[in-house]
Amino acid sequence: MNFWFSIFRQTGRNLRQTWTTQFMTCLTVSLSVLIFSFFYLIYLNILNAGNKVTDDLRLVVYLDEEPGPEMQKQLRLKISQFDQVQEIKFISREEAYSRFAEQLGDNRDVLTDMPTDFLPASIEVIPLKTLRSLSQIKLFSEYLATLPGSQKVQYGQNWVERFYYFTQLLSIVVLLSGVLLILTATFMVASTIRLTIFARQEELELLKLVGATNNYIRTPFLLEGILQGLIGSLLGLTSLYILFQWITRHFSGAGFLDLFTFTFFPPGIIATIILLSIVLCTAGSYTSMQKFLRI
Amino acid sequence: MTEAAASQTAMIEIIKVGKSYPPNVTALTDISVSIASGEIFFLIGRSGAGKTTLLKLLCNMEKPTNGLIEVAGMNIHQVTGNKLAKLRQRVGMAYQDFRLLTDRTVAENIAISMEVSYKKNQIIRNRVRSLLAQLQLEDKHDILTGDLSRGEQQRVAIARAVANSPALILVDEPTGNLDATSTEQVMELLIRCRNSGATIVIATHDEALYRHSTHRIMKLHNGRLDSLTRGDGQGQPNTAGATDDTGATGGSGDGI
Ligand SMILES: Nc1ncnc2c1ncn2[C@@H]1O[C@H](COP(=O)(O)OP(=O)(O)OP(=O)(O)O)[C@@H](O)[C@H]1O
Ligand SMILES: [Mg+2]
Repeated sequence: MNFWFSIFRQTGRNLRQTWTTQFMTCLTVSLSVLIFSFFYLIYLNILNAGNKVTDDLRLVVYLDEEPGPEMQKQLRLKISQFDQVQEIKFISREEAYSRFAEQLGDNRDVLTDMPTDFLPASIEVIPLKTLRSLSQIKLFSEYLATLPGSQKVQYGQNWVERFYYFTQLLSIVVLLSGVLLILTATFMVASTIRLTIFARQEELELLKLVGATNNYIRTPFLLEGILQGLIGSLLGLTSLYILFQWITRHFSGAGFLDLFTFTFFPPGIIATIILLSIVLCTAGSYTSMQKFLRI
Repeated sequence: MTEAAASQTAMIEIIKVGKSYPPNVTALTDISVSIASGEIFFLIGRSGAGKTTLLKLLCNMEKPTNGLIEVAGMNIHQVTGNKLAKLRQRVGMAYQDFRLLTDRTVAENIAISMEVSYKKNQIIRNRVRSLLAQLQLEDKHDILTGDLSRGEQQRVAIARAVANSPALILVDEPTGNLDATSTEQVMELLIRCRNSGATIVIATHDEALYRHSTHRIMKLHNGRLDSLTRGDGQGQPNTAGATDDTGATGGSGDGI
């Protein structure tokens, strides 16, 4: 009880004496949390949107001719030889025609003069949910192209490819900013604590001489580290949340953002970010302390 | 009677202690002495004789180059960590250069030695007030020590050394900047501490402090033990002499 009272008194003194440096460090920590979580939030949302889009990923194999029932059976066999799939659907010329007509809706009268078999027959292959990586999809589509009678395979190549590279890039950015967060937070806190130790060298020496235990000297600095981490990350996350609110309010009308339902971090991730930042800051202050405290 | 019993046991054992500083300054050579519990012990000698060095060894600020120092039966230079902290809480030192925190108030400076041993706030406050009263510094309670005169700083340093009621009090040149009255107050304070059981080692140039006392006096010369004598108690007895008669008698057998 009395121990903690003394510790808090010491911490209060420290903070009062060096609050400008402490404040700057806090800002740095919150800035690096903000940068990191900003990219991470975007990354998560894009992944989310990507999942939704690739949920209805399907490969369409256009065929020269309409396959008969025997042929269909063989094709089915060949496709599932490569990989298990969720669904294989044969689409006849008529079906393709009526689908197209449906898509045209009120404009369907443009089709009146067309023969009902002007569209090619096709096979729709819906791959398993596990088949998600771009290279796998590519391989699969190359395989499908070798099927007898296959004319062309389509799965929105361009779009999928771009999306894939985009998420790759984003994950690198997230990773880098994560590393940046770790480095800056730890380094800044370590050097602040070193500065405050330096500024209070005389007092700390005296404390040792009059018999302060290591814990009495060390704990206030650890508390400072914890506070830096906590306040810094809260500040960073709060500003991100405000930014997030602003963006959703101002862009929710625009068409492209309708695709994504923008969501903020779930509580678990928020807690993890805060915890991580606390741990890093405490580690930073601990290493500085260790150098000083050898008696 | 408690004094007589206490002085049977040695508070400090210094055995063949030498100390040299790099590169080749020899500050102490082959010092051996034993100081009884409850004794007041004077350490004299010319400037540079090694008085401060010996006190620093006693409070574990420096380690001896050779020899052995035991305080309260413990080899203090083998103690580390929390044990060392506990030991230091029981040893109060008033440094020659004071080592006050000049940006803190008088009260805060005195409180430090009690705070580190987790004394209750109320107790700390009372003790600070009582010490300031004894040294006639009541009005300086909230003054920054940096703004005090040398003599006032010196007394604050002494107050801090004795505040936590340590078992061993080391005072380095306690009266260098003080007038006769203040000197007397400081000596009264130290004797009061001795009477409540503390052992006191005083390093000084001030002959007036020990001339009329009956305490043992160790004279250092160039880091060697020059003489170990006992004050003869002659002359008009000052406060130091008058209040003291028991402490020295028991310790007489403890010389080298
Ligand atoms: N840290 C140090 N490094 C090198 N030499 C030192 C150190 N401390 C003390 N000395 C030397 O050791 C010798 C004894 O010094 P000490 O401070 O013990 O003298 P003193 O008796 O206290 O003198 P004074 O009465 O002036 O305070 C001196 O020659 C001094 O120069
Ligand atoms: Mg000295």
